[in-house]
Amino acid sequence: MGREVSESCVDSLLTEIVSTYNNRFYANKPELAARRIEAIGYQVGHQLSERYTMERPRFSDHLEAIKFICKDFWSELFKKQIDNLKTNHRGTFVLQDNRFRWLSRISTDPSVENTESQDPSAAAESKASLATMHVYFPCGIIRGALSNLGIPCAVSADISNLPACKELLLSYSVLSFYDI
Amino acid sequence: MIACVAVVGHQNNPLYIQSFTEADDALKLHHIVHCSLDVVDERVNNPKKSGPTLNETFLGLLYPTENYKVYGYLTNTKVKFILVTTDLDVRDADVRNFFRRFHAAYIDAVSNPFHVPGKKITSRTFAERVSTIVKSFGLSSAG
Repeated sequence: MGREVSESCVDSLLTEIVSTYNNRFYANKPELAARRIEAIGYQVGHQLSERYTMERPRFSDHLEAIKFICKDFWSELFKKQIDNLKTNHRGTFVLQDNRFRWLSRISTDPSVENTESQDPSAAAESKASLATMHVYFPCGIIRGALSNLGIPCAVSADISNLPACKELLLSYSVLSFYDI
Repeated sequence: MIACVAVVGHQNNPLYIQSFTEADDALKLHHIVHCSLDVVDERVNNPKKSGPTLNETFLGLLYPTENYKVYGYLTNTKVKFILVTTDLDVRDADVRNFFRRFHAAYIDAVSNPFHVPGKKITSRTFAERVSTIVKSFGLSSAG
């Protein structure tokens, strides 16, 4: 438990994963690159959930597992808890983090920005698409953790207002027999 | 003395099973472990019966046989650990301690990026660590 990883190492690793998969392995297939990055996250989340739930009593229902993700798991990974949790009581959860740490220091290459796009809206768009590539990994982590806890689900992220806002849409296909 | 330890996956698939007896009774021990899985299911699905150990990872004594006592442990990820011991007076704290260390060893083994989730644990380091834990279990209960 005592071993820690420098935050800047994780940041650089994430940046490198994204750029390698996007520009080298699957340069012309961004969807495939996204899937691969998500799969890496899935494995990481699968393993982390085993470690972080070690000292805890077993979860009695899905809501408790989601709460664990929002509080403990989130603060282990991103050093803060989520800011808002919403649910439609039909198996969809929306986790909102107003300052998502892994995206807080993101910026686009200024040289690319200057040559390719002069107007600010296009620059913002390229930044958003770059950020979208960066959230596949954390989405995969959350999906891996939840499925290891017995909740098969789909996780998608909505980034509307960088870097302040990150919404994670969590929905799982299992219709649970108890009311969450 | 610990006769057998086992790790069983969430679909009741064996992930690791190791007996520590001199005699050739591996099959019998496997059978005991297999039977205990039903008891684990029963405990989990009827939480009223398990009483004070509600939602605890440690399931306590699953059932005693003539020669053995069988203990169980269920993680949040629905992985079961089974311990078969020949000692008839075992302290609960010892068993808890054993399972905690066993769980830590298991976590380290499955965190190996080369380990395929849901497949048998083939790591030699894990096997060595488990046998160390098993040996020290005998010592701590004697002392």
